[in-house]
Amino acid sequence: MSSMALRTVDRDSLFTRLDFRPKLFMIAVITVVAFVWEDPLMGGGLALTVLLACLAAGVRPGYIRTVLLLMLPFSLILILTQGFFSGALLTNLTGLQPDSFHMLFVFPAAWPLIGSAGLSWEGVQYALNIIAKSLTMTLVIPLGIFTTDVDTMIVGMVKARIPYKIAFVFSSTLRFFPLLFARTQAIIEAQRLRGLAFETMGPVKRLRVYARIVVPLILSALNESQMLDVVLQSRAFDGSPDRTYLHDSRLMAADYALFGLFGLFLLTAIIGYVVFGVGKFTGVLW
Amino acid sequence: MPEAIATFDKVSYMYPRSTALVLRDISLEIRKGEFLGLIGPSGAGKTTLCLAFNGIVPQFYGGRFFGAVNVAGLDTLEHPISTLARYVGIVLENPETQITATSVENEIAFALENLKVPRDEILARIPRVLEAVRLEGMEHRHPQELSGGQKQRLAIAAMLAVRPSLLVLDEPTSQLDPVGAHEVFRTVQELNRELGVTIVMASHAAEELAEYADRLVLLNAGQIVDEGPPAKLYTQVELMQQLHLRPPGVTRTFHYLRKAGFSIPELPVTLNQGIAAIKPLATACHRQASEGQLAPAPRDGRPLVSVTHLTHTYDDGTQALRDISLDIHRGEYVLITGQNGAGKSTLVRHFLRLLLPTDGEVRIDGVPTRDLSISALARRVGYVAQNPDNQIFNTTVEQEIAFALRYLDMATGEIRSRTERSMAAMGLQDVRDRHPLSLPRGERARVVIAAILALEPEVVIFDEPTTGQDYQGARAILRLTKQLHNAGKTVIVITHHLYLMAEYAERVIVMGKGTLLRDAPIRVVFHETDVLASTYLTPPQAVQLAQALTEATGIPLLCLTPQEVAGALVCDTTGRSL
Repeated sequence: MSSMALRTVDRDSLFTRLDFRPKLFMIAVITVVAFVWEDPLMGGGLALTVLLACLAAGVRPGYIRTVLLLMLPFSLILILTQGFFSGALLTNLTGLQPDSFHMLFVFPAAWPLIGSAGLSWEGVQYALNIIAKSLTMTLVIPLGIFTTDVDTMIVGMVKARIPYKIAFVFSSTLRFFPLLFARTQAIIEAQRLRGLAFETMGPVKRLRVYARIVVPLILSALNESQMLDVVLQSRAFDGSPDRTYLHDSRLMAADYALFGLFGLFLLTAIIGYVVFGVGKFTGVLW
Repeated sequence: MPEAIATFDKVSYMYPRSTALVLRDISLEIRKGEFLGLIGPSGAGKTTLCLAFNGIVPQFYGGRFFGAVNVAGLDTLEHPISTLARYVGIVLENPETQITATSVENEIAFALENLKVPRDEILARIPRVLEAVRLEGMEHRHPQELSGGQKQRLAIAAMLAVRPSLLVLDEPTSQLDPVGAHEVFRTVQELNRELGVTIVMASHAAEELAEYADRLVLLNAGQIVDEGPPAKLYTQVELMQQLHLRPPGVTRTFHYLRKAGFSIPELPVTLNQGIAAIKPLATACHRQASEGQLAPAPRDGRPLVSVTHLTHTYDDGTQALRDISLDIHRGEYVLITGQNGAGKSTLVRHFLRLLLPTDGEVRIDGVPTRDLSISALARRVGYVAQNPDNQIFNTTVEQEIAFALRYLDMATGEIRSRTERSMAAMGLQDVRDRHPLSLPRGERARVVIAAILALEPEVVIFDEPTTGQDYQGARAILRLTKQLHNAGKTVIVITHHLYLMAEYAERVIVMGKGTLLRDAPIRVVFHETDVLASTYLTPPQAVQLAQALTEATGIPLLCLTPQEVAGALVCDTTGRSL
C-alpha cells in the first residue's frame, strides 16, 4: 500500500467492529481520567492498559516503539526538571517540606551553582505521573483512530452531532499526514542524492540542511491541497451537512456496553478522586 | 446532427493576478455522444478549458471571464459548481490527487452523497459503474492498492455514477504506463460507443486520439487554431511540428514518404490505415535500413556498474527483483524499460545505495555499494527524479547548483568554478538569480541536472524524465541526456515512452515482474514485439510499419523511426532520397 494511505490496523478485533461514537467517548473518558489522576502507579497502570489494548487491537509495535522513542527525551527532561526543581509544587500537593523529601542524588555542596541541588524521589514520581499522562493520551488516540476507517469515522462523527465540515476537515487531515510524511522522506532522499553526508554532519549543520525541506514541502502541500479542493468541488462537495451517506452508523449491543463501561469508569474515577482521594499524588510510593 | 450538450460562446479568461488571457474568444459546440479530443502544446489552455465545463473556471479560481459557457442548458456562471457537478464529470491528470476516500465504494459514493442521492440508489449504482470500468469486485479495496490505470478508471467510475451528460478528462493517461493508458482509453471508448457518454479529452496521446476521437480541437495560446476529424488535423504535419506537437508515428512516416516523392493521396492517421497503405509501396524497391548496431558493442575494461545475481525482497515480502545480472560500461546510453512494477526503479535504487541487495551484489567501479555511503555514491552516480520540484531547496538558481558543494567542504574557488561550468553546460547563466521554482518545468529540470553535474558524476540516471511532459518538453530533456552522453557521461534513462527513445538510446534493458527479460541493442529489442508485449509495452508505430513491410517483402527491415521507414522505401536506383 502506498504511503499515502492512513496507517490503520490490519487485525479484525472488537475495536475495529465498534462504532466510532463509543470509541470517541472512550478516548474522551480515558483522556479526562489520565488528566485527573496524579498518582504515578495508577497513571502508569492506565498507560500500560492502553498500550496493551493498542497491541491487542493490532496497532503496529513499530509505531508504538516510535512513539516511545520520541517521548524519551521529553521524559528524561521531565525527570530532571521535576526531580530537581519541583519543591514548591510538591509541598503544595503533599504538604511535605523539601527537607523531608527522599533524595536520590545530591551534588556536592562545594560545586558552583549546582552545589547541594538534589534529585528527589517525590519529584521523580511526579515526573513519572506526567509521563504516564502523556503516554496514555498519546496512545489512546491511535487506539480509537487506527481501528476506524476514515469514511466510517465521518459518519460516526456526524451522528455524534459533530458538524459535517469539522468531521470532513478532521478526516482530510488524517489523510494528509501520510502524504506529507512521504513527501518529506522524498525530499530528504533527494538531498542525500546530492551528496550530502548527514551521517558525518554536526547537529547544527544537519538542522540547517533539514530546514531547506520546508520550501518544497509547503509548495507541494499547497499544490496538493488546491488540487484536492478542485476535485472535491467537482464532486459536488460544498460542506453542506445536507447529504446522504453510503454507510449507516448504528449502535449495537457492544457499543452500548462500551458506553456504559466507560461511563461507569468515569463516574467511579471522579467520585474516587473527589471523595476518597483515590488517584491523588501523595509522594509516597513505598 | 445530434443536439449540442455544451457550448462555449466567445469565451475569454484571465487568471487572477495575471495580465495574459489563457482562453481567447473560444466558441465551441460539443454534440451529444461525440468524442472530442483537445490537443495543443503545454500552456495552450487545454486544462483551463476543461475546468470551464463545470464552472471551476472561473467560480473556484476567480479571475476575469468573458462570454458564456452553457452545459446541459445551464449557464456555468449562474449555477454553483455543486449543481454543475450533476451534469459534468471531470477526471484530472494525476490519479493520486483524485482519491478522496478509503475504499473504492466510498470513492464512488462521495459525489452521490453530496448530491443527496438516496442510500439504496447509491448501493445500486456502485456495481453498475464498476462493471462499466471493469473494476468489478473491488468495492472494498483501498484505492491506494490499485494501479495507476485502475485509479484513473475509478475516478471515471466516480464521475459516471453521477450519470453526467458530459465526461471531461484532462490528460488522464499522461502519468500512466502503457498498460494503464490502454485501460483508460479502452474504457472511455466503450463508454462513448456503447453507453453514448459524451467525451471531451485533452491529451498528447496522438496515436490513441487518432484511433478513438470523432473530432479534434487544436488550441494554441488560448485560441482555437483548427478543428475537425483526426484525419484533418493530424495530417497537417507542418502545422503540428510548428506548434511542437507530435502527429501519430504513422502519419509522420507517410509525410516523409510524400516528401520523398511518393504519391500519397491521403496521409493515414491510424496504424491499420498505415499498414494497409504501406504494403502496396513495398513492391517498390527498398533497402535495408538497419545501419545501427545489431550486436552488443564489445566493451573492454572494468564495468562502471556491475550487477551480479541481484535479488531484492521488500519488507512486506514482495520480491521486486530476481537474479538480475548485467554490466554497464563507461560511455553507454542505456534505456531501462518495462511496465509499472517491473522493477526498473528498484534496480537503479541499488545503484544509488538507496536499497541494498537481499541477495547478490552491486558494484560501482569495482566497489560493492555496501562499502560506500549514499553521499559518496551520489558524487559518482547522479540521479534526476521524475518530479524536479522535490529536488529544489534554494532561492536562486546559482545557490541551488552550489548547494551540495558547500556542504562537501570544497574550497570557495572550486565551488564557484564548478557552479559556473554547470550553469554554462545547461544554459542557465541568464537565470542565475531567478528563483528555481519560478522557472518553467523544463528549466527546473535543467537546474536539477546542473546541480547534479556540479558533483561531476560519471553516471547520470534519469527516472521517468518524460512523464507528464508534452512532446516539446520531453524532447528537450532527452536532448540534454544526449548532450551529456556526447560529453562522455554514462546515461541511464528509465521510461516506458519507447517512441521517444529511438533517436537516443543505444542499448535497452527490458524488465518484467522483477526479472531481466532482454538486454540488447535498441534496434534488436524494439523489434522483439513479443518481449515488449510480455511487459505490456508497445513499440513505436514506425517499428510496426517496418514489420508490416518485412512481412510483405520477406526482407528484414529493422527501422526505428518514421524517417528510417520512409528511407527504407526510397529506391536507390531512381535516386529518390530523403
